[in-house]
Amino acid sequence: MATIVVEQLCKRFGEVVAVDGVSFAIGRGEIFGLLGPNGAGKTTTINMLCGLLRPDGGTVTLDGRTDPTHPAVRAVLGVAPQSIALYDELTAQGNLEFFGRIAGLAGRRLKERVAACLDIAGLAQRRKDRLSTFSGGMKRRLNLAGALLHEPAILLFDEPTAGVDPQSRNLIFDTILRLKAEGRTILYTTHYMEEAQRLCDRVAILDHGKILDIDTIENLIGRHGGVSHVEAELSQVPDDLPALAARLAAEGLGLEGNTLRFQTREPARSLAALNQCELHYRALKVDTANLEDVFLNLTGRRLRD
Amino acid sequence: MAKLMALAGKDLRVLFADKGNVFWVFGFPTLFALLFGAIYAGAEKGPSGLEVAVVDEDQSELSGLYVTHLQSEAALKVLALDREPALTRVRKGQVAAAVVLRPGFGEGFSTFFDANDPKLQIASDPGRKMEAAYLEGLLAKTQFEVLTQRFRDRQWMRGQMDTWRSQIKSTGGLLAADTNVYLRLFDSLDSFLQDVNDRTYAGGLGNGMLNVARLDVQREYRGPRTPFQITFPQAILWAILSCAATFAISIVRERTTGTYQRLCVGPISQAHILAGKGLACLATCVVVIALLILLGRLIFRVPIESPLLFAAGALCTCLCFVGLMMLVSTLGKTEQSVGGAAWASLMVMAMLGGAMVPLAFMPGSMRSISHISPVKWGILAMEGGIWRHFSPAEMLLPCGLLLVLAVAFFALGVLMLRRAQL
Ligand SMILES: Nc1ncnc2c1ncn2[C@@H]1O[C@H](COP(=O)(O)OP(=O)(O)OP(=O)(O)O)[C@@H](O)[C@H]1O
Ligand SMILES: [Mg+2]
Repeated sequence: MATIVVEQLCKRFGEVVAVDGVSFAIGRGEIFGLLGPNGAGKTTTINMLCGLLRPDGGTVTLDGRTDPTHPAVRAVLGVAPQSIALYDELTAQGNLEFFGRIAGLAGRRLKERVAACLDIAGLAQRRKDRLSTFSGGMKRRLNLAGALLHEPAILLFDEPTAGVDPQSRNLIFDTILRLKAEGRTILYTTHYMEEAQRLCDRVAILDHGKILDIDTIENLIGRHGGVSHVEAELSQVPDDLPALAARLAAEGLGLEGNTLRFQTREPARSLAALNQCELHYRALKVDTANLEDVFLNLTGRRLRD
Repeated sequence: MAKLMALAGKDLRVLFADKGNVFWVFGFPTLFALLFGAIYAGAEKGPSGLEVAVVDEDQSELSGLYVTHLQSEAALKVLALDREPALTRVRKGQVAAAVVLRPGFGEGFSTFFDANDPKLQIASDPGRKMEAAYLEGLLAKTQFEVLTQRFRDRQWMRGQMDTWRSQIKSTGGLLAADTNVYLRLFDSLDSFLQDVNDRTYAGGLGNGMLNVARLDVQREYRGPRTPFQITFPQAILWAILSCAATFAISIVRERTTGTYQRLCVGPISQAHILAGKGLACLATCVVVIALLILLGRLIFRVPIESPLLFAAGALCTCLCFVGLMMLVSTLGKTEQSVGGAAWASLMVMAMLGGAMVPLAFMPGSMRSISHISPVKWGILAMEGGIWRHFSPAEMLLPCGLLLVLAVAFFALGVLMLRRAQL
């Protein structure tokens, strides 16, 4: 069973404590998100996970082994680094072929895998072109594909969608979801909460090298998201506001002209209740809490300032 | 092994995608060989067309002969002038020197041996000492040639004997016994000159005795036969240095772009990665050397006395510098710093080791410092095969040293890479 277990991981660079006692465990077939702003320590964590950096403290266990540089671990590990780590001078195909060989592929299998990964990157048409002629997004896609050549069971993706257009981003998401369906274990770092929300089974909120909380998105929002805001424009004004508030499990219910505003911690329940009230509304606006709110509530800052 | 080849192959493709690299690796050393070869080729013949003013104040038969001889010297451009204009020309730097044949020059041997009142004077431009020294050599040679010609003239010699006999008698300074010894010598020489057959005399002196001496020198001369034999090891060394520096920079580049990190998380060791680079570098060096040799053989006809030993020397040199550059590449963090460090260290070593100015032209103290430069050993190892006639045993010292250094550099490089990781 390919898993990732991290315990009390620490790393400092001089004065800067980049990673400060990070612990988490990722199960097989799970997509785990590391969500945090710039400088939170995401890349540093990944570098320690794949053995590029030696932790000052704590342990990393990959696939049951505590040494990430062990050849057996290397063989099942795929990393798509944050920076484009490819050769500008080589073609798309040349790059993949080279890294495939380094991963131990050869002959027909190498050919097949390179072709498959070029497809994943959506670059089959341009496989003979030099990397230097590619756009940023194309390089990014190939950068990710380069991690998949040897079909590793554990995948570490460090911000794989930075600078990618929405269409390419969807292509990358599809790829990642397919990899998950194949039973691979995936660590995904990002500072886009939409990405985490869409892809990840569980998310760790990372800030200043510390994990603030880890859970499923639903639970995180429930715990830290705060209230959802509902705004309904009514055709008929209700009489008994306190009774309505009780029925809707609403807080801070108020009426302003025809517009009813309230907050709720259980938006689904409140909306169902609203429908049952036979209050006709012409327009309804629901602002449900999201990871952004979770981060805001946990740190007092927005994820992206 | 397959991974090593993949690494090396990738490096070569990446390297030669950049035209600048192609120049530094192939063009630069070739230019170097051509340039320095040409310079030394000129030096070997001596400066040509050295302008010299000759003032013949003697106007004797011998001085005329002397001037004719000088004029026939290919390296000189002789202007016959009066004393004043000749000296003015020297002052103005229009000629390298003025040679003055004083009155009395033609009177015989005294011209050449009288130190108190030299009959041959040279006025030279102080800024052109090298040329003046060269000229002095040529003058001596001319003197010798003129003398040889005179010696061959039996009748002139006898006249000379007469002069000396009367000079000895009139000089009061010698003891009577000594005077008699000289007179007896002159008498017997005179009778020899009188009786000897003309042809035997001229042949024996001119072609026999003197030329034998020259042949001997030739036979013992075991130095380079053409200047290109000196510039070739140098050019090859520059090729190796240039190539090694290029690859050193490419290692840092991989570190800054992150491809190195990507390689590191793959199932491959640091030693492997470094060895892959080294292999690519070595392969490039070998190709460059092969090209240079081809050029040397075809165009400059550089003789390589022992191709096998030369190949061994060149290979050891390559290995040493490839190892060194692998080490240097781990010392810096940016392409600029490593590029700078690489070239700076190579320049110093090249300078000390005789890749810029051949060791033979250096002062003794510099030559002993040169021992610390691997460049010196590299050149020595290659020269061993080209013209030094090294035996395999003699090759052991430079080659062994180079190999030991290569291994040490490489091991240190891997160590540094491991440390730099963490
Ligand atoms: N090699 C290094 N030397 C010194 N400080 C470093 C180094 N690498 C990272 N840091 C510091 O460690 C902290 C965490 O950096 P890290 O790269 O892990 O952040 P990140 O979460 O990946 O950020 P981003 O979203 O911008 O990629 C930062 O404060 C950074 O300045
Ligand atoms: Mg990062």
